[in-house]
Amino acid sequence: MIELKNVTKTFHQKDRIVTALSDVSLRVPQGKVFGVIGTSGAGKSTLIRCVNLLERPTSGEIIVDGKALMQLSNAELAIERRQIGMIFQHFNLLSSRTVFENVAFPLELAGTPKAEIKTRVLELLQLVGLAEKANDYPASLSGGQKQRVAIARTLANNPKVLLCDEATSALDPATTRSILNLLKDINKRLNITVLLITHQMEVVKSICDEVAVISHGKLIEQGSVGDIFADPKQELTREFISSSLHIEIPSVYQERLQNNDNGNLNPLLKLEMTGKSVNEPVISEVSRLFDTDFKIVSAQMDQAGEVNFGVMLIELSGKRENYDAAIQYFNSKHIKTEIIGYV
Amino acid sequence: MSDSLIDLLLKGTWETIVMTFVSGFFGFLLGLPTGILLFLTRKNQILEQPVLNRILSVLVNVFRSIPFIILIVWMIPFTRALVGTSIGVSAALVPLSIGAAPFIARLVENSLLSLPSGLIEAARALGATPFQIVYKVLLPEALPSLINAASITLITLVGYSAMGGAVGAGGLGQVGYQYGYIGYDAVTMNSVLGLLVVLVFLIQFAGDKLSKRFDHR
Repeated sequence: MIELKNVTKTFHQKDRIVTALSDVSLRVPQGKVFGVIGTSGAGKSTLIRCVNLLERPTSGEIIVDGKALMQLSNAELAIERRQIGMIFQHFNLLSSRTVFENVAFPLELAGTPKAEIKTRVLELLQLVGLAEKANDYPASLSGGQKQRVAIARTLANNPKVLLCDEATSALDPATTRSILNLLKDINKRLNITVLLITHQMEVVKSICDEVAVISHGKLIEQGSVGDIFADPKQELTREFISSSLHIEIPSVYQERLQNNDNGNLNPLLKLEMTGKSVNEPVISEVSRLFDTDFKIVSAQMDQAGEVNFGVMLIELSGKRENYDAAIQYFNSKHIKTEIIGYV
Repeated sequence: MSDSLIDLLLKGTWETIVMTFVSGFFGFLLGLPTGILLFLTRKNQILEQPVLNRILSVLVNVFRSIPFIILIVWMIPFTRALVGTSIGVSAALVPLSIGAAPFIARLVENSLLSLPSGLIEAARALGATPFQIVYKVLLPEALPSLINAASITLITLVGYSAMGGAVGAGGLGQVGYQYGYIGYDAVTMNSVLGLLVVLVFLIQFAGDKLSKRFDHR
């Protein structure tokens, strides 16, 4: 549905040339949600702006729904853009228009008759759950509501493709989840292909089918979300994955934590489960085999695609002479295990 | 205050109002498109045209640097060709409009520059043509600040028209100059000043009210 072929974009800044994108190729199949993740300045904004030619690539090809956009005239491009919806981090609603008029805006641009605009707008506001706000101005809405209006606005033209430019980055976690659910719902119900860029692994994890990691203008890794979480090849990818898992040693433990074992302390272990970890009930196995006990101090487990992954802090007790063997057993099952101290 | 003086002041006030608003109207007719063009042809804007932008910018700066009293005199041949005379209210409208236009163009350009750039981006992404961007996005979004620009312009024009009065343009300026300054009549002079102050206050007040009414940010 969306295809980028060897897209390169350079900017002239004073005397030097900055390469924002270098030889980027990706394909988003019809009906899929594709995420591009990267740190700020990695070129992800430029990438998504290239898809609807808000930014014209220096070289390469952009094909959306079978049309090579780079070959179109400005007038043709304006019409083609109506097939490509886009939502933004800062919503970009027109402050002089009410919610209703904002959603009506793209329909006015396309010359839709007034009566038709009215039914379509009300239907869209219903879809995003803001029908009762139709006559309010954007200034009186919360961030999440503004993004809903922006989503309704961009759906007005029945686009085949939806581009999301950091659409949830300005929102709080709860609102982020509700917007992501809405996007997923739209993707499923209206069969719209979604390309999104983000710096939050949570976004990728919760709604994407496929993901690409961008760094310094290059796509360094891409694949299905399950595969990437199961077996990340690049250091940056691993960082993004672990950044979506926060685990902290509870303060009660932190205070008691010792660096060395004085003979009667229990080791505190950190277990990291990735897609490579064996899909077996390893903890109870170890408990039985090595005559040890576990107390789970804190844990965060998650599912991405088929893959179960996460981190866990456990306090180990039982037969002291078997501790090393137990740790080795975990590692042999690809559960990365380390002793972070003794309590 | 004699009846004849009141008549004189009423006539002067009316002429000043006519000069201010009519030249303001023509000033906007010239200045608004120029300001929009100045904005659109800037670097990284939708109709980026560095050469055209440069030419417009220089032209605007040249006209803005001519002192108004000189502009009136300098434009006399043009004014005569256009309205057939160089004296009176209708003659004053020509240099007033021309003098206000570049000032308005810069105010308009600044109003548009202060809009968030994401608005144009969103409109482009929704398939808006440059013309649609101007009249459906830029002008409605900038309306509150354009109204403020209009009040600033009109107040400047009140001052300009009074200056024009010194060289035969009519209006309160002429009354104040002839009867007050040359005739050394303190009552007339101060009445003129009072009326000008009231006029300026009214324009500012109406402008603020109107601007606020259209501001939904």
